[in-house]
Amino acid sequence: MAQSFLEQARVLDFIVHLQTRHTVYAPHRRGQRSFAFEKTSDPAAVELDYPRVLGSVKKYFLPPRETLMDFDLKTDTATAPQVEPVNAVFLGVHSYDLAAVKRLDHNFLTGKPERNYLVRRQGARFIGVSYVPDKFHFAGSVGIDPYDMTGSDVFLTRHPDGWIVDVLTGEGAALLQGFALPPHALPKPKREHFTQHIYVPQDSLGRILEASYDHPVWNETARSCLSCGTCNLVCPTCYCFNVEDQVAVTGDSGSRERSWDGCMLRGFTEVAGGEVFREKSAARQRHRIYRKFKYLSDATGQPWCVGCGRCTAACTAGISIVDIVNRLIRDAEREEKITA
Amino acid sequence: MELQILKPGLETRELYLPEMAEITAVRRLTEMETLYTVKMPGGRELGHQPGQFVEVSLFGVGEAPISISSSPTRHGEFEMGIRRVGMLTEVLAGYQPGRKIGIRGPFGNGIDVSKFRGKDVLIVAGGIGLVPMRSMINYVLDRRDEFGRLIICYGSRSDTELLFTDELAAWEKDPRVEYHVTVDRGSPDWRGRTGVITTLLPGLQLDLPNTVCCVCGPPVMYRFVVLTLRGKGLPDDNIYLSLERRMKCGVGKCGHCQINGSYVCQDGPVYHLPDIAKLREAL
Ligand SMILES: Cc1cc2nc3c(=O)[nH]c(=O)nc-3n(C[C@H](O)[C@H](O)[C@H](O)COP(=O)(O)OP(=O)(O)OC[C@H]3O[C@@H](n4cnc5c(N)ncnc54)[C@H](O)[C@@H]3O)c2cc1C
Ligand code: SF4
Ligand code: SF4
Ligand code: FES
Repeated sequence: MAQSFLEQARVLDFIVHLQTRHTVYAPHRRGQRSFAFEKTSDPAAVELDYPRVLGSVKKYFLPPRETLMDFDLKTDTATAPQVEPVNAVFLGVHSYDLAAVKRLDHNFLTGKPERNYLVRRQGARFIGVSYVPDKFHFAGSVGIDPYDMTGSDVFLTRHPDGWIVDVLTGEGAALLQGFALPPHALPKPKREHFTQHIYVPQDSLGRILEASYDHPVWNETARSCLSCGTCNLVCPTCYCFNVEDQVAVTGDSGSRERSWDGCMLRGFTEVAGGEVFREKSAARQRHRIYRKFKYLSDATGQPWCVGCGRCTAACTAGISIVDIVNRLIRDAEREEKITA
Repeated sequence: MELQILKPGLETRELYLPEMAEITAVRRLTEMETLYTVKMPGGRELGHQPGQFVEVSLFGVGEAPISISSSPTRHGEFEMGIRRVGMLTEVLAGYQPGRKIGIRGPFGNGIDVSKFRGKDVLIVAGGIGLVPMRSMINYVLDRRDEFGRLIICYGSRSDTELLFTDELAAWEKDPRVEYHVTVDRGSPDWRGRTGVITTLLPGLQLDLPNTVCCVCGPPVMYRFVVLTLRGKGLPDDNIYLSLERRMKCGVGKCGHCQINGSYVCQDGPVYHLPDIAKLREAL
């Protein structure tokens, strides 16, 4: 579809325009260097130039905590809760986070589709923005560049004077209706460069991981890993959850609640009697990395790490997913050279 | 972004809401285990295969995956044998007939009975592993002429912990069943064999190519049983294992039950050994 141009000076008007018809969620500054997706009240507080939001938009479709059912203990009956559709515009989403939404869709909507997720997810519209990779991003290595418009209804590409606007879907066109923009014919800016890379094509990574099950890197990482689960918490494609019942203080009603869980936590695989199937931190780290680059990729044909760099940026022990994977690749190549 | 994987009109199920079923009978099996007979609403058939499980739901307490212990050949109600080990199973131990419990399921991949039909059936069950295997055993007994020999090897920690003692006694007498039992530690009046379950296997005379085996027991048991069966010359292709992992949803969403890349609630709990021989976390 045609391109148009949004001058920097009109960005506020554009957000106001969106707000007349929709709730708008967008990146806001949270601290000196941190940003978060929040509901926009003041358009001036929106930051479209940002390196990374703390949590992704995942929290709107899979909330950190939500009710799966309410029950009445007097009558032993349960009812599904009313789930509110998100029905909003997500402005300023990076390409890797949109790729992550696609992966969440896969988990919750294929096989046996889940109602809670679907209801929330259905009304979401996305306005993507390009970004300049920082020292943690490596999305290019998993095939998602900063200008990738996949998943966006409208996409904004950074330009020195404002934003180049691509309208990609009918929904996107509807968002722009009533907000006239001049056409834009100039070529797009050059590709941004990533400083972080995984040095291997995705298709051979599965094979390399297959052969790296007993690699020393798992034990080495385990020495500094705190098993805190932060890397799971911040990951936009981690979807594992726990389920627990809550009983009201009156004792006659309650709810079944689900909350985010993480495979790096020791109790994740614990069963009654005390058996823990991934007892060692090394086994859990391997599981996390294999899920991102092998298990789920084998099953769905796409990497489940979208290269956002959050897990590395957030790890207090300084454990880097890129370093782990590159180490495996390097050693696999060295091995191949020796045996060749 | 369009939801491309969704077709219009696609039905989204209430994945987590249980149906309310009724406990119709409660029978104490041992100090720790109880057998529950359960009727689905309206007396509906559960429609399960041997080896499948349900999620048992007690509001305010939680949910637990529990195997279906009765054979699908026995209609109207189904049975579950449950060991008291934690919150939910403890509360359930106090339940009497007439109480309602929530049931979701049946879930998982059960025993593909067609692979056993016409063959000699070898069941290796350790401890509570007899509970799910009982579904298959009774299936074979109810359709006895569709199968060859029925060989049951059962191991228990002690003779006081033996489950379904009335049925064990019946199998012992039944000429259509070859029943072997061993306990790790026998009480003074135990007359049977002592030793771990693998000690039952070497003495078995098997028609190897014609024998199909299903194994279920505590996590430590599988590796030794599989090694022993292989040692006897039973091909991997003839071995099925029923595995257990922590579960939180039963429907392939929560990620808890994974063995490497395999979801036990979807691909298991019953696995064909060649399918998991390469999974390092399996055995
Ligand atoms: C496929 C399958 C079939 C099973 N069949 C039987 C059976 O026939 N009889 C029987 O007595 N037990 C069976 N179990 C084990 C049974 O699920 C656990 O003993 C039970 O979940 C313990 O729940 P609790 O609330 O009493 O214990 P807690 O320790 O309080 O458990 C809390 C929660 O942890 C999880 N959990 C704990 N232990 C297990 C476990 N072993 N497996 C999976 N999740 C667990 C559950 O989500 C449970 O709700 C089976 C497990 C699986 C996976
Ligand atoms: S964030 Fe770092 S320390 Fe915490 S579990 Fe993940 S790798 Fe280990
Ligand atoms: S594994 Fe790390 S880098 Fe990859 S998507 Fe998750 S948080 Fe981002
Ligand atoms: S039990 Fe939740 S994915 Fe298998």
